[in-house]
Amino acid sequence: MTESPVARTDTAPEETAISVASGPLVGPVLRRVVGMLAARARLPLDRLDEAVLVADVVASRAASHAPEAVQVHVSTGDQTLWLRVGPLRSGGAQALLGESPVPDVGSLIIKLADEVHVDRDDAGGEFLRVRLAYAG
Amino acid sequence: MDDEPAAAPTGTDIRLTLPARAENVALVRHVIGALAEAIGAGEPLIEDVKLAVTEACTNVIRHAYRGTEGPIDVSVTPDGDRLTVVVRDRGQGIDVPSSEPGPGFGLPLMAALAEDLEVRPGPDGDGSLVRMSFRLAGDTLEPV
Repeated sequence: MTESPVARTDTAPEETAISVASGPLVGPVLRRVVGMLAARARLPLDRLDEAVLVADVVASRAASHAPEAVQVHVSTGDQTLWLRVGPLRSGGAQALLGESPVPDVGSLIIKLADEVHVDRDDAGGEFLRVRLAYAG
Repeated sequence: MDDEPAAAPTGTDIRLTLPARAENVALVRHVIGALAEAIGAGEPLIEDVKLAVTEACTNVIRHAYRGTEGPIDVSVTPDGDRLTVVVRDRGQGIDVPSSEPGPGFGLPLMAALAEDLEVRPGPDGDGSLVRMSFRLAGDTLEPV
């Protein structure tokens, strides 16, 4: 995992930006968007399932660390999916990376992702960036 | 996983910003479906909302950017017994004649499916904005 400053607020042309007010709709919406974009990125079924699992972890934990809404930017490449979650309150990214309540599992996101980064913008917001890929 | 529909939240909204491309219409429809199921909307209404939103998004893709890339913004707000969907682009606006005229069914179809329909320029004067309102407990079009 790496930490670096970042100042990105706009939506790049290839990105899909999702913002869902914190509440019961975050999970159903986020898992569908991530699942569909993972399929479009040609991730195989097991990696697609894992991407949806990461989306579920984000949905279940991000709401308490997001000021008003859970915001996620999703970008895709060939057999690669990037998720950028934030802005989150200070400490929010680490909270998303916290251990699963299932014994001996540890952090699901760290376990499933190929890369994990924590970025900060000039306003003090935290962003969690996660890459899921299929190496073949 | 809890299969119970979530209570319809008041003021909750979903915003999607994505490239205005045909393949992304399916993504928007998917999100509408997720939302409608989560709040317990009936299947006929879900299909009406999906069809109306598909028409609005298709208009953006066909007419807003004249072959260049641009974003499409979709926001969905359930509020009590109503569901409001706003589809917005930052393209050439609604007063510019399209180079790709369609059959012209889009707006009448949206007007028939939605309880309220508003089409106007975007808030900054750029692009266009379509606001559709649906009654969650209301009637839907009878199947033909």
